Amino acid sequence: MPRSEVSAEALDKIKNLVGPKHFLDSFEDRLCYSYDSTIEEAIPDAICFPESPEQIAQIMKWANEYLFPVIPRGSGTGLSGGSVPVQGGVVMVLSRLNRILEINEEDFYAIVEPGVITQTLNDEVDRRGLMYPPDPSSMMTSSIGGNVAENAGGLRGLKYGVTKDYIMGMEVVTPTGEIVQTGTRTVKAATGYNLTQLFVGSEGTLGIMTKITVKLIPPPEHKESVLAIFQEMGQAAQTVADIIKAGVVPATLEFLDHITINAVEDYKPTGLPRDAGAILLIETDGIKEAAIKEIGRVEEICARNGAIKVQKAGDEDERESIWTARRSALSALARVRPTTILEDATVPRSRIPEMVQGVQEIAGKYNIQIGNFGHAGDGNLHPTILTDERDKEEFARVEKAIEEIFDLALSLGGTLSGEHGIGSAKARFLEREVGTAGLVAMKRVKDALDPNGVLNPGKMFVD
Amino acid sequence: MAFLDEYSEDLVRCMKCGNCMTTCPVYTVTGRETMLARGRIRLIKAAMEGQLELTDNLREALFTCLNCDACILTCPPGVPVNELVQAAKEALLKQGKPLSEAQERIRCGIVRESNPFDQPQAERGAWLPPDLREPKPAKVLLHAGCSISYASNRIGKAVIRILQKAGIDFTMLGDSEHCCGDPYVRMGDMEKAEALWALNKTAFDKYGVEVVVTPCAGCYSAFKHHYADRVKPMHVVELFAQLIDEGKLTFEKPFKKKVVYFDGCDIGRHSECYEEPRKVLAAIPGLELMDFPKNREESVCCGGPLLGSYPDYARSIAAERVREAQALGAETIAVACPTCLLNLKEGAQAAGLRMDIQDVTTIAVRAVGK
Repeated sequence: MPRSEVSAEALDKIKNLVGPKHFLDSFEDRLCYSYDSTIEEAIPDAICFPESPEQIAQIMKWANEYLFPVIPRGSGTGLSGGSVPVQGGVVMVLSRLNRILEINEEDFYAIVEPGVITQTLNDEVDRRGLMYPPDPSSMMTSSIGGNVAENAGGLRGLKYGVTKDYIMGMEVVTPTGEIVQTGTRTVKAATGYNLTQLFVGSEGTLGIMTKITVKLIPPPEHKESVLAIFQEMGQAAQTVADIIKAGVVPATLEFLDHITINAVEDYKPTGLPRDAGAILLIETDGIKEAAIKEIGRVEEICARNGAIKVQKAGDEDERESIWTARRSALSALARVRPTTILEDATVPRSRIPEMVQGVQEIAGKYNIQIGNFGHAGDGNLHPTILTDERDKEEFARVEKAIEEIFDLALSLGGTLSGEHGIGSAKARFLEREVGTAGLVAMKRVKDALDPNGVLNPGKMFVD
Repeated sequence: MAFLDEYSEDLVRCMKCGNCMTTCPVYTVTGRETMLARGRIRLIKAAMEGQLELTDNLREALFTCLNCDACILTCPPGVPVNELVQAAKEALLKQGKPLSEAQERIRCGIVRESNPFDQPQAERGAWLPPDLREPKPAKVLLHAGCSISYASNRIGKAVIRILQKAGIDFTMLGDSEHCCGDPYVRMGDMEKAEALWALNKTAFDKYGVEVVVTPCAGCYSAFKHHYADRVKPMHVVELFAQLIDEGKLTFEKPFKKKVVYFDGCDIGRHSECYEEPRKVLAAIPGLELMDFPKNREESVCCGGPLLGSYPDYARSIAAERVREAQALGAETIAVACPTCLLNLKEGAQAAGLRMDIQDVTTIAVRAVGK
């Protein structure tokens, strides 16, 4: 990949603009902004922390004048290399734009800056009796800007949708340095191209968001939770299909496979049977009577499909304990081997059994360990590869296995990424999903907005 | 830093997920990756692999770590960050990287006068009544510690009064008391730390000491981790709690305030003493005891370990804790550590926040009455 040197003159200008306190260029600092949560790494030339859309616009103008890459970054918790400066350049951290500008309790929206931590927004809207539903597992640390840029998902996707379903509008600095307003504060809008949704999930390649208008909803008044244990993965998958068929839309419908269950029991035993094939965690919510009635149906369906055990949470403490296994899934898997690679291939939910089976076959074929857990209700799995990046031979097998997992998901009518994005990690596979014509169309959009290719190059497309 | 090889697997285990952002107090006030467990691990890895020289910036990244051990609470693979940072500090020193000016000042103070403030050792016991300035054989030794000997005498005097009232027979080393060695450990100078441990143990032997009780959480943690083979270490609040159980310590005068107890890292996470200080406070009539939103093993450090070397960070972090206490409606923050006491006071003052901040012992002594 080509690597461009940023001219000292351009760096000086940026440093003077944002102030020396908000500009870093020591080797140690650059090393610490070379990564996100993948194994991808590349060292930037400098890091800046702008404080306003105007500063960002100015930096983009210089980027086009001096031709250097700018890489927008939130908290750096991404899972596809989205904020990794693969071609060098200037990492632009948006953490200083961290104000919640408005929470409108009458029209149910909030206007926030991109550096707001998602959980901070959750806490603020919760205090006002409202809810921002997208709940990526990283929400304690990830920024709302990063969530929007990656179209982050979460546990509640099945019933409540994902980030894109809650973005009403934004203020964006284009790659050429213009400040653009998109969208509205209204529920309905039929004005011009839907630029808002173009920028959602654009992974920092089309623009830098400086304000985001998010939709809020009233939270459900009641929740019911059930933990169901199955001998076979197939029974759990059939249960998922039957629940949906019965017209029940759970708020969450999570699963853990046999390997994950055993990793959890090794890490923090919760009394799950070690020979279980899968467990499902199902939560219904809404009006109290409806949630109770729905969980009743869920229990029946679990029993009918041969669940070994169906455990309903009687109170908040029991609900917490039911969720312990799911919450510790990643920590448990992460302790099995030194390196943990978290994928997010997603299939239509009816194909989950084939996907889970296929992933295990791939694990067998390449003699590697893969735990599987995730959001069964929306088909979003997290095949989690447990390996050691220092073992080059094993790691080569891991890379082959990942490629086969992608192909498997696509062959089942699925997608490469349910919620992590393409970034640099999956760029070379994108064409397999969208086709050559699809890729060309996307590239034309990119070229139109970013003629010099200065904004987050090397992502989505293989340059 | 080739001899860090034993930690190579721990370094690889870091998933760079950034969960440590939620718990690292220093990152919370600086927003800099080099001052976050994830960044520090990356830098240690780079130094180990020869990608990074032993630079001043590397040293800063290591020495801005509070060793508060909170990052491990949210770390999915459970990387022992504290151990890694400690090993890296030791390696840095062994490979000839000099300490920073601030750390070197602390080291010189201990070398010369056996206290980090470079105050005269000959006056260490000047605050003591004459009968306690000279050691005598006793099973129980009250170790004041450097902070209390030279700065927070009030805590020491409160403890002495309570122990005497409860009829405990104890001795003190007075002018011949030494530093516990904890500051040396924090700067990675294990050779000097070990020499102090040996020196102190010899003194304990000389007077037949079996139990060392101290109001300083830092000393307490040091005793617990490095002296337990020779003596039984106790924080004074543990002894107070025991005396309350035995009916030897009772509180008569009420303290009618809402008091939030702050779990400092050295007494809390590092020594797992959570209930005894609460028990002492709860026994005081009229006192309404509260908890911080994050308490006990999840408590967030006050920033105290940085007060000597990075005072701005230390005070900013402390101010956050004071604001949390204010939001709870607390009138007093109670601590069981002279470093927390000093730092929280400094933080409140620097940020212009009004808050009564006291050691558990000074609250207790007032409640004991005549």
